[in-house]
Amino acid sequence: MDVAAWIALFSPAVGVAAITLLGHRITGAQAGILASGSVLVSFAASVVAFVLLTGRAEEERSETSTLWTWLSAGDLEVGFEVLVDPLSVFMMLVVSGVGFLILGYATGYMRGDAEERRYHAYKALFVFSMLLLVQGGNLLLLLAGWGMVGLSSYLLINFWHERPTAVAAGKKAFVMNAFGDATFVLALFILFAQTGALSFAPVFERAPEALGESTTLSVLVALGLLGGAVAKSAQIPLHTWLPDAMEGPTPVSALIHAATMVTAGVYLIARTAPLFELAPAIHDLAAILGGVTIVVAGLIALVQTDIKRVIAYSTMSQIGYMFLAVGLGAYGAGMFHLMTHAFFKALLFMAAGVVIHALAGEQDIRRMGGLGRELPWTTRLFVIGALALAAIPPFAGFFSKDAVLASAANAGVLGWLLWTLGAIGAFLTALYTFRLVFVVFGPPITDFAREHLHRERFEGPLAMMWPVAVLGVLSIVGGLIQIPGVWHLVDDWLHPVVESVEEAHGWVAWFSALVALGLALAGIALAWLLWGRRSDVPERVRAGAPWLAAAPERKFWFDEAYDGVFAWPVRMLATSLGRFVERPLFLDPLGGLGTGMRGLSGRLGAVQTGGVRLYVLMLALGLAVLTVVFLAVS
Amino acid sequence: MDAGEILVWIVWIGAVTALFASGLAVVLFQNPFYSALSLIVNLASLAVLFLLLSAEFVAAAQVLVYAGAVVVMFLFVTAYLGGRADAPWAGGPTLQRLFAVGAAAAIAIEVVVAISLAAGDRLTDPAEVDEAFGSPAEIGRLFVSDHLLAFEATSIVLLIAAVGGVILGTTAPRRARAEGGEEVPQR
Amino acid sequence: MMGPGIASYLVVSVILFGIGAFGVLIRRSPLIVLLALEIMLNAGNLALLAFARQFGDGSGQIFALTVMVVAASEAVIGLGLIVAMSRLRVELDVDKLTTLRG
Repeated sequence: MDVAAWIALFSPAVGVAAITLLGHRITGAQAGILASGSVLVSFAASVVAFVLLTGRAEEERSETSTLWTWLSAGDLEVGFEVLVDPLSVFMMLVVSGVGFLILGYATGYMRGDAEERRYHAYKALFVFSMLLLVQGGNLLLLLAGWGMVGLSSYLLINFWHERPTAVAAGKKAFVMNAFGDATFVLALFILFAQTGALSFAPVFERAPEALGESTTLSVLVALGLLGGAVAKSAQIPLHTWLPDAMEGPTPVSALIHAATMVTAGVYLIARTAPLFELAPAIHDLAAILGGVTIVVAGLIALVQTDIKRVIAYSTMSQIGYMFLAVGLGAYGAGMFHLMTHAFFKALLFMAAGVVIHALAGEQDIRRMGGLGRELPWTTRLFVIGALALAAIPPFAGFFSKDAVLASAANAGVLGWLLWTLGAIGAFLTALYTFRLVFVVFGPPITDFAREHLHRERFEGPLAMMWPVAVLGVLSIVGGLIQIPGVWHLVDDWLHPVVESVEEAHGWVAWFSALVALGLALAGIALAWLLWGRRSDVPERVRAGAPWLAAAPERKFWFDEAYDGVFAWPVRMLATSLGRFVERPLFLDPLGGLGTGMRGLSGRLGAVQTGGVRLYVLMLALGLAVLTVVFLAVS
Repeated sequence: MDAGEILVWIVWIGAVTALFASGLAVVLFQNPFYSALSLIVNLASLAVLFLLLSAEFVAAAQVLVYAGAVVVMFLFVTAYLGGRADAPWAGGPTLQRLFAVGAAAAIAIEVVVAISLAAGDRLTDPAEVDEAFGSPAEIGRLFVSDHLLAFEATSIVLLIAAVGGVILGTTAPRRARAEGGEEVPQR
Repeated sequence: MMGPGIASYLVVSVILFGIGAFGVLIRRSPLIVLLALEIMLNAGNLALLAFARQFGDGSGQIFALTVMVVAASEAVIGLGLIVAMSRLRVELDVDKLTTLRG
C-alpha cells in the first residue's frame, strides 16, 4: 500500500522531469499526453491505496512510510514520509482524479499554444505539489507541498507572461500567499518549540499538554495555521488574489482555483483539527470567516461581467461553506462539499472554457447570448453544473451543502447565525449562477456571438468535451455517497482521523433542507425574471440606486483598502529611501568617486606632454627631494 | 707654504676658473659652434685638474679621446646641421627655467651636504702614493687583472656604438626617400 | 705637494655637475643638450679621480676611463640620431619631440 502511495506521489514528478528533459524532442501534444498520463497513473495508484485501505480494520487505517530521514537530531527525526490514512487518500483521489480529467481537457484547450510543453510540465508539477501537500506525513512536508503549490500557481497564472495583467496577477497571488505562508511557518515554529516534533502523530499527542487549551500559545498556533489556510483558500480578508488569478488559462482556473489548491486550506484545518480544537475561539473564527465570505463573495459575483470571474467568486463563496463546516467541527461535511464542489466547479470552468474557446477568447458575458442553441451539449452540461452548484436535488451539491447547513443548525447560537448566512448564500448562489446561465445561453443570440462563434465537431475539441461529460455524470451522482439522515459514508470514512460533529436530526434537519431548497428555487426564479426574459429591471435598479450596485462592483473596496494600507506606504518608503538614503549615501559618493578619479587622472595626464625637458626636470626635482629625504632619515 | 704649493694653488685656481667659465659658455652660447669650442677649453682645464690629481694617463686620454675625437665629432655635426642647429632662447625667465635653476642648485647643495656628512673626517689627508700611481703601466696592470671584465665590457660597448652609428647613418635616408620627401615633424 | 684638499675638488665637481644639469634643463637644441651632458659626465669623472687620489685606489681611475668610453659611445649615438632627424626634416627642438606623450 505504501508502494502505491509513493507511486501516486512521484508519478507526476516523473512526468515533469520527462517533459523537461525531452524538451524540444517532443511536441506539445505529446507533452500533454505525458502529463495527463502521469496523473492517470497517480489516480490508479490512489485507487489501489484506497482499496487496500478499505481492506483493513478501521483502527489500523493509518500508515506512514518513510523514504529517508532528512534531519536527525536528538529525538527529532524528520523524514520524507508519506501518510496513508483516510483523509489523505480521500484528497488523493479527488486531486488525482479531477486532476487527470482537467489535464486531459487541457491537451485540447492548449493545443497550438506556443509554449504548450511548459504548460503541461507546470500542470504536472502542480499535481505533484498538491499530492505532496496532502500525502505529507509531517508538517514539514506539508509546508513544502504548500509552498510548491503556491509556486506552481504563480507559474501557471502568469503563463502568458507577455501580458502585464497576467504578470501582475501572478505576483499578487504569490505575495498574498506568502503572507499566509509566513503565518503558517510561525505557527510551525511555536509548535516545534513546544512539542519538539513535526510528524503529525507526536505533535497531536503532545499538543494538549505542551500548548494547553485556549492559552496564548494555542491561539497563536491556530491563528497562524488559519492565516495560511485563509490565504491559500482565498477567504476574506486574503481573497483579493483569486479573481485576478483568472488571467491564467481556463484549465488552470479549473484545477487550481476551483478543485484543488484553494481547497488546501480546508484540508489543513481538517488535518490539524486537534490543534484547532485547542483554541475554540480561532476554530469559530474560521467558521465565521467562511460565513462572511459566502455572502460577500456571492454579492460580488452578482455584478461581475466576466464569465470566469463569476465562477471564481462562486468558488470563494463555496469554500466559505467548507470553512464554515470545518470551523464548526463538521469535517465530514466539509470534505464532502470539497469533493462535490471539485466536480461541479471544474465542470463549470471547463464548460465555460468550451464557450470561450468557441468564441475565440471572449470572456465578457455581455457579448454572449443564445449559445444554448449553438452549443446544446455544452449548455446541458453547464446547466447540470449550475444546478449542482445551486444545490438542487438530486444533484451533488444539494447533499453536500445540506450536510453543511444541517451541521450548522446543530451547533448552537453561533451555528444558527452561520446557518442564516449559509441560507442567504444559497439564495445568492442560485441567483448569480442562473444569471450566468440565462445571459450566456438563453436567447436571443448576440451579434458578437453570431459573428465569432466557431463550432467544432463535438462543439468543442473532443479532448475538451469528454472530461466535461465525465464531470457532468459525477455532478449528478456524486452526491449520493452521503445523504444526511440516511448514511454518512464520508463521515464514517474519515472517522479514524477526525471526529465530525453530529448533524441536526428530525424536524430541524428537514426545516434546514427545505428552507435552503426553497431559497435556491426562489433564486432561480428571480434570475429567470431578471435575465431569463431579458428584462430591463437590472439596468433600472442600477440607474435608480447606484449605491446598491457600487459596493459589489467595487468588490467592497478591498483592493483599494489593501493598496492604501499596504502598497502605498511601502512604495512611499521605497521611493523616499531611494531618494534620501540611497542616492546621497551611496550613489552620489560612488559617482563622485568616479568623476573625481576621472578629473584627477585628466589633470595628472597633463604632465605627459611628451617633452623630454619636462621629464628631465621632473627627474631632477625628484632627485633633489629624495636626497633631502634620505639625508633627513639617515 | 712653499713655492711648490703656491704654484699648485695658482694652477688650481686658474684651471677651476677656466673650467667654470667655459662650462657656462657651453651652456649659454646661442651659436652651437661656439658652444662646442668652449667645450674644448672645458676639457683642457679638466685635464689640468686631472694632472693635479696624479691621474696622468686619464688626463692624456681625456685630451686625446674627448677633445680630440668627441668634440671633433660635435663640430662635424654642427657644420653639417648648419643653421638648423640653433635653437632660439625664446623669451625671458619662465617657470620651467626657474625650476631648472632651482633643481640644479638643490642637487648641488645636497650632494655636498651628503658627502660631507658621510665622509667628513676622512677627507682631510690624502693617502701616500708612489710614482706609479696613475701611470699607464699601473692602469694597464689594473685593466688586465682586477678589472678585466670592465675592460672587455667597454670594448663591447664601443663595438655596439660603432654599429649603431653606422645604422643610424645609413637607414634614415632610405626611409626618407621611400616616404617621398617632406616628413612632418612628429607630435 | 699639498694643494687644495679633496673637498675642494669635490665642490668643484659638484658645481660643474650643476652647470651641466642646468644646461640640460634649459636648452632646446638637442645638440647643446648633448654637450651639457658631456659636461656632467666629466664632472662625475673629476669626483671619481679625486676619491681615487684620496684613498690611493687605482680603481677610481679605471672607473673614470670606463665612464669616458661610455660617454663617447653615447655621444656617437646621440649625434647619429640628430643627423638622422635632420635628414628626415624633423625640427630639432626638444620641446617639439613629444612622441613620448601619454
